[in-house]
Amino acid sequence: MSDMAKSIVFAALMCAVLGILLTGAATALQPLQQKNVENDRRKNILLAVDLVSRDQRYTHDEISALYEEKIELFGANQAGEIVPGDRINEEPVLPIYLYIVNDKINAYIVPIDTPGVWGEISGYLAIDADGSTVRGFTITRHSETPGLGGEIERQWFQENFEGKRIVDRQGTFVSVRVARGDVERQVDEEDRPHYVDGISGATLTGHKLTEGIEQILYRYEPVSIRFRDNRADLPGDR
Amino acid sequence: MKLTRTKAFKTFAGPAWTNNPINMQMLGICSALAVTIQMNTALVMTLAMTFVITTASLIVSIMRKIIPGNIRIIVELAVIASLVILTDEFLRAFYFEMSRMLSIFVGLIITNCIIMGRTEGFAMSNPPHLAVMDGLGNAAGYGSVLLSVAFLRELFGSGKIFGYDVIPQSFYDAGYEDMGFMLLAPAAFIIIGLMAWLQKYLAGVEDEA
Repeated sequence: MSDMAKSIVFAALMCAVLGILLTGAATALQPLQQKNVENDRRKNILLAVDLVSRDQRYTHDEISALYEEKIELFGANQAGEIVPGDRINEEPVLPIYLYIVNDKINAYIVPIDTPGVWGEISGYLAIDADGSTVRGFTITRHSETPGLGGEIERQWFQENFEGKRIVDRQGTFVSVRVARGDVERQVDEEDRPHYVDGISGATLTGHKLTEGIEQILYRYEPVSIRFRDNRADLPGDR
Repeated sequence: MKLTRTKAFKTFAGPAWTNNPINMQMLGICSALAVTIQMNTALVMTLAMTFVITTASLIVSIMRKIIPGNIRIIVELAVIASLVILTDEFLRAFYFEMSRMLSIFVGLIITNCIIMGRTEGFAMSNPPHLAVMDGLGNAAGYGSVLLSVAFLRELFGSGKIFGYDVIPQSFYDAGYEDMGFMLLAPAAFIIIGLMAWLQKYLAGVEDEA
């Protein structure tokens, strides 16, 4: 057999062996990994409404118990009405997670999925039942540059959003925006409630996030308006 | 024959100390900067790297006589890449938080020049038991630097070791502050630079220049 043929046979065999090995490992470990991802998703929803703390560790069971007790998935239709969660696969109905205490809505959580610089940024933004104050913000997944845009996964950045307002004093929707640098230095005093501190070296990530959050919150405005007017009710046939 | 005179021991001790991949050869700096903010991540990175380099050296060394010369680099790379993917999958299944913290740096073990260098430069031309010792030695050399840098950065940067507070509250009350600079990548550069200088001095290496 010539050297060339030998190399080709060797390469083919190697690909087959490594391929089988990696496929086997990936398939075998997938259920565990998916469980981790789902658990992380739930934990982030709980984090957004401050039901769990970032400094503490939780078991999977603790997270699921807390999640199932406090959080429920609903839909929000174009009129801003809250509809049962099984209708979110219908086109104009948006998914909305509700944090319910004693049959009353305490906060609502909007999933954020928006393009970043390199890939999708996913997370959750929780808003108080007043429809205008941000309760919390978390990021579950992103592929921004580590050390630059990747800093969005840091605690300080996410906690930055707490207490910010998505409407101005006149009650007009303004969303919440990422400033270029420190809010105190870059933003006029009256606009400060709508800005969070940006990350130096990550202007583009900040832009993308600002744009994404604005577009998503705009789609949720009908339901947010109902919350502001105190007209948001749980569906009767729940 | 004394243990320290055996070839296996020398193969291990060389890269672990006198020929340390980071401090002496200046390889693998990228990950040494990225994962040394905390001892935790540095330790997991060390273990992952130890697994990959030792296993890759073993496999390549066992197959060194049948690997065709003209595609050997690709074969080495494929072996290393597969081991890294296995490590990554394992971490994501069993140590999810850790894999989240290490983010892309587990995947980047593939491009760690130490591993590629050892499989090509050593495992391809030495028997398996020496290749394993060489892998372990390099991992020990790499890991010891990683852990020392992480120790200094976590201690001075956040006052913790393995996530536990070690600087007493009374220090903070007396006006002590954590050095935020230690948490940034340039701090790792400076620490590695100082360590390289110290180690070269201790080992009595003189630059030709």
